Amino acid sequence: MVEVTKTFKERLIDFTMYCRERQFVLGPQETQDAFVIAENGYVLERKLFQYSLKAIFCKRKEHFDRFDEMFDRFWSRFYEEKLEQRKKQIKLIKNEPDTATVIFLGAKFNVPKKEKKIEAKQTKGANESIRLRMTDFSKVDVSDKKYLEELALELFHQMSMRFKRRLENSNKGKVNIRRTIRQSIGKGGLPLDLAFKKKRKEKRKVVFILDISGSMDTYSYYLLRYVMILKKYFKSLEFFTFSTKLTHVTPLLRQNNEQEVLKQISVNVNSWSSGTKIGESLTEFLSSYGNRFLSQKHVVVVLSDGLETGSVTVLKEAVKTIRRKCKTLVWLNPLKGMKNYQPIQKGIINVMPHLDAFESAHNLDSLLKLEKLLMDV
Amino acid sequence: MNKEINAIIKDFYNNDYILNEELATSLFLLKNLEKPLLLEGNPGVGKTMLAKTLASHLGTNLIRLQCYEGLDVSTSIYEWNYQKQLLHIKLFESEKDKKALENQIFSMDYVLQRPLLQSIRADKPVVLLIDEIDRADEEFEAYLLELLSDFQISIPELGTIKATTKPFVILTSNRTRELSDALRRRCLYHWVDFPSKAKEIDIIAKKLPNIDQVLATQVVTFIHNLRKSSLHKPPGIAESLDWAKTLLLMNVDNITDEIVHNTIGSVLKHKDDVDFVRNKTVQEFLFPID
Repeated sequence: MVEVTKTFKERLIDFTMYCRERQFVLGPQETQDAFVIAENGYVLERKLFQYSLKAIFCKRKEHFDRFDEMFDRFWSRFYEEKLEQRKKQIKLIKNEPDTATVIFLGAKFNVPKKEKKIEAKQTKGANESIRLRMTDFSKVDVSDKKYLEELALELFHQMSMRFKRRLENSNKGKVNIRRTIRQSIGKGGLPLDLAFKKKRKEKRKVVFILDISGSMDTYSYYLLRYVMILKKYFKSLEFFTFSTKLTHVTPLLRQNNEQEVLKQISVNVNSWSSGTKIGESLTEFLSSYGNRFLSQKHVVVVLSDGLETGSVTVLKEAVKTIRRKCKTLVWLNPLKGMKNYQPIQKGIINVMPHLDAFESAHNLDSLLKLEKLLMDV
Repeated sequence: MNKEINAIIKDFYNNDYILNEELATSLFLLKNLEKPLLLEGNPGVGKTMLAKTLASHLGTNLIRLQCYEGLDVSTSIYEWNYQKQLLHIKLFESEKDKKALENQIFSMDYVLQRPLLQSIRADKPVVLLIDEIDRADEEFEAYLLELLSDFQISIPELGTIKATTKPFVILTSNRTRELSDALRRRCLYHWVDFPSKAKEIDIIAKKLPNIDQVLATQVVTFIHNLRKSSLHKPPGIAESLDWAKTLLLMNVDNITDEIVHNTIGSVLKHKDDVDFVRNKTVQEFLFPID
């Protein structure tokens, strides 16, 4: 056992907070385990300390992939110090002369002011998360892109967990007499364990139809990424893109590697950044996929700015038919997030009466509001 | 690296399991912090085998609980032995002290111990493998929480049963669904990835000492290139070993198109994947990597 100074403990707490700000789910127990590791002397060996903290702090693969880089960024200065200097900082505890040592790490561990400044810049706090959630996709900084995706991943994960729990709670039914009697045979005919009729779980089936035309350019990449993240949590999600032509993207999402998925989509979706024919594309969706992906269990979400260049009558008819065949039809329009936006475009005016909801989709916060709509299924 | 970790790596190697330092550190913490270890990774990367090897490394028993949808308390923790209880009631029907009779039939003698209860009541610490936890329902995860954090199980009629010895718990998941944060927070975590090319050659050479080095390299190169392709089910280490064994049995010393055509079934388990490989030449998968 070794004794760890207060300053070092503070640094370890700083690292815990640094991880927490990057969406690691860490509580007091993890911090306590980190102290145990430090007190066991693992801190003296970089790899041992790194791998130990990794096992304790990481709770899922996404954390696991990012941890090494974060550890390097935070602890590199500490481990750059010469080994001998560090050994000097270690003294044996008198009571346990054979095995125990004391680490006087505090004084040497004060981070120079310059580094503090750099770290402060790199650290994204709770306010930062709120800022990112509210940032319009068209104004997202390149440096924020990665953090925004990480944040989205975490928030969608939490959303899917809430879904599952509520679904489980609503699935208890009446007593199944037949099965209860069958089960009681082995217990001398006494119905000790009651069997319940389980309500058939209603699986949420969601169809996303994303507009990737030129007018949606600033939003379509982010919306595509978020549908990809959602797909991880909603197995029955179907995904289509359109501009002048409709493409069924779901089969391309089967890959494990996200970069590969994006590559495949860019190869297979030819109509990227071209004109907008919403009506024709939705009609194609109805004729080619309507039978498979439209029922009273389906929620259809159209992500489009509604700037139609084709026939408005075709669009109106298509939307009307889709609404009739599905449970809920939601239209998400990124332009709705703009100040003073009014739905006065011809396309939008004509489809509005047939929609169950017309919401904005310009930032992460607005996408998270989808939860309420999907939960009502 | 720490001496104890090196000893773990060495001992696992002697038991035909090649560990890296990172995973060895997680096992070291599993032993020292007495926390469960959650292993996630693709099927066939050696998660279950790790638990088996840990049991032989520690010289103890392995208790395995294979999870499935619908797994409940009566199959995983305990169940009252109803027949025995009924028999006891019949035998002592004339007993006047009904309270004593009730106490008798609700004692440990009338409990059928299932894997989780067995693991905490064992004479010496055992390795408890909770395999493919992602297949079980979320309700079952909730049952596990008490065991994983406090190593105790509550039986309403008996009260709380504390562990006589703490088991070394390993949970595995193929990530077919997300596990709850509550469960994850009680565990150490390690993502078991596919091994590097050099490590996989070592694994094959270790498991199949008679294999030619050139053939082993070809098998691993082929498999690694397959994993980079867009397959429904990328092959794991188990598939590499199966294929190497098959080729060894067939006395193959060089992989050809015909050999691939005839034996690819031991590597790929999806029709589309098999068709994908059969429509390509072997050379496309044998170009050097890394």
